[in-house]
Amino acid sequence: MVAIVEAINLKKTYMLGRVPVEALRGINLHIDAGEFVSILGPSGSGKSTMLNLIGALDKPTSGRLLIDGMDVSKLGDDQLAELRLSIGFVFQFFNLIPRLSARENVELAMSIANKRKRRKRARELLETVGLKERMKHKPVELSGGQQQRVAIARALANDPAFLLLDEPTGNVDSKTAREILDLIHMLNKEKNVSIIMVTHDEKLAHEATRTVFMVDGNIAKELVN
Amino acid sequence: MRALDILGYSFNAIKLRKLKAGLTTLGVVIGIAAIVALMSITSGLETSITGQLNEGLSADTLVITAGGSSLGAGGFGGGASGFGDGSISDSGFALYVNDTEIVSSLSSDIESTTGVISRSGYIQSADLNRSVTLYAVDFSTYSEVYSATFVAQDGNIPTNPHDDEIIVGARIVDPGNNGTKYFTPGDYVNIAWTNSTVYPLTNETTRVVISGVLQEIGGLSLSGPSDLGVYMPISAAEDFLGTTKVSSIVVKLVNSDNVTINAVTNAIKDYYGSDVSILSSTSILSTINSIFSIIQLFLVGIAGISLLVAGIGIMNIMFVSMFERTREIGILKALGMKKKTVLAIFLSESAMIGLLGAIIGIVAGYGLAVIVANVLGSGLFGASGGLTIAPVLTPTVLLGAFGFGVGISVIFALYPAWKASKLKPVDALRYE
Repeated sequence: MVAIVEAINLKKTYMLGRVPVEALRGINLHIDAGEFVSILGPSGSGKSTMLNLIGALDKPTSGRLLIDGMDVSKLGDDQLAELRLSIGFVFQFFNLIPRLSARENVELAMSIANKRKRRKRARELLETVGLKERMKHKPVELSGGQQQRVAIARALANDPAFLLLDEPTGNVDSKTAREILDLIHMLNKEKNVSIIMVTHDEKLAHEATRTVFMVDGNIAKELVN
Repeated sequence: MRALDILGYSFNAIKLRKLKAGLTTLGVVIGIAAIVALMSITSGLETSITGQLNEGLSADTLVITAGGSSLGAGGFGGGASGFGDGSISDSGFALYVNDTEIVSSLSSDIESTTGVISRSGYIQSADLNRSVTLYAVDFSTYSEVYSATFVAQDGNIPTNPHDDEIIVGARIVDPGNNGTKYFTPGDYVNIAWTNSTVYPLTNETTRVVISGVLQEIGGLSLSGPSDLGVYMPISAAEDFLGTTKVSSIVVKLVNSDNVTINAVTNAIKDYYGSDVSILSSTSILSTINSIFSIIQLFLVGIAGISLLVAGIGIMNIMFVSMFERTREIGILKALGMKKKTVLAIFLSESAMIGLLGAIIGIVAGYGLAVIVANVLGSGLFGASGGLTIAPVLTPTVLLGAFGFGVGISVIFALYPAWKASKLKPVDALRYE
């Protein structure tokens, strides 16, 4: 199996004013391609820091972190940006661009140069997440669940190495949450998309095939569901 | 993101903030319109004035005046007053009628010379008494030198005039330029001047007959014939004006090339030294051009300040936009967009504002120039001889205004755009 995430003695220290805060205190983690892994922990456990590092949004203080084979600590801002093209982000608050339609939001993330091909791909992706009929709608005209589906379609736009989900059902009702989880399972099983999900919701975490428990910047235990 | 996609994205962002973007654009419009209007009016005025001067001043003519100033004697403006009498310089040096013979002998490139005596005076008839400039000239040489302007429209210019024959400018006969003519050739009038060398002051008056009326010359003439001039034979001047001092000597050259102009100028300078100043059409026009350049620079400088203010407005809106869209910047970066893409998005937004502002500004500025030129043409200069101004929008001004509008917009957006591009994705995404 090819590792999509490989963390070795990963540490991250923030400065809160003059006080150093150790958010990660030496994480060792290995995630293979095709896995569905959830990272579970209460607030302050370091899971958001972990999300930022795995998402190539931030760089570690020390240790090694390989994302899709690239050592994050050795990359510059532009290289990190390029690496992020192969990571599919799904945020808790959807983070769609309000003035763009669903299709335009999906197209925005694409690195495909040809406009026609881009449009075709966006259409296919929105069809995959079940939003074929609402492609031209702006986010404000879509329900929370539909917005999250657009966000998932957008995350899939560049055929990413993995989807990185941050509390993906944290902002929708339970019925919609179920639908989104079904979609995630479908992507993982049928389309073989690797999934990494960060959450504080234990029930949600158990949807994954493996759960990593974080406490105080360390991995407390790992559990295969 | 490709360049076209960036432009599309930026246009979309502007569309959403129509009012803010519109007000910012207005700032650029005002700045560019002011620059275009001022530039095209001054260019038009310059073209108009130099055109009129060219008409009134032959290229193959030099004008010698006593004194060292470059635009002193001889009646610049050609109006009733001129810039002083000019017959005697500050140093006390004066030119006399017989100096024309000396000047003629200085160079073989001189075809003819004629002295001009000028003095403020009056023309009087039963129903009119108005102040004029009296010029005493040799009719035949003067009409040779100014063959385009010293031409009679009514009557004729006698070659061997009697002492009581005069020629008058078009505006003397028809002061209102409305067709109401006070004189016709053959009419007798009095001409007078105030003799201040005796006490009590005495009005010297003589009765003369109008032989000819000049065709209309235009608003400005330099040392040449004027619409407000009264011309009497130089032979009569000694008696009536009591002087043979001339305000200027007009020299007609065999040709108008610069070598001849310089050679004759040097020959005259060698003889008279710094006691005289010599004007040529090229030197006058270059002086006028440099004066206009300074005026234009000054006016454009003022207009530039308004554009500077517009630039600060753009900087302000870009900062506001950056704060409003911090989260959006975070999203774009999380989606893999590089710093330069974010920079390009912000810069293209301001460039679009600048472009739109420049286009509207150029159109508005030119429109304003046409209106102002009409008002100036019919109002300020209309009465004195109808100086028409056609605003001139040169390609340089057009491209300059265009470049300036877009350039200012982009330059002032650089800092906010750079700040936006430097935002860390983690911080930007966390921004509420």
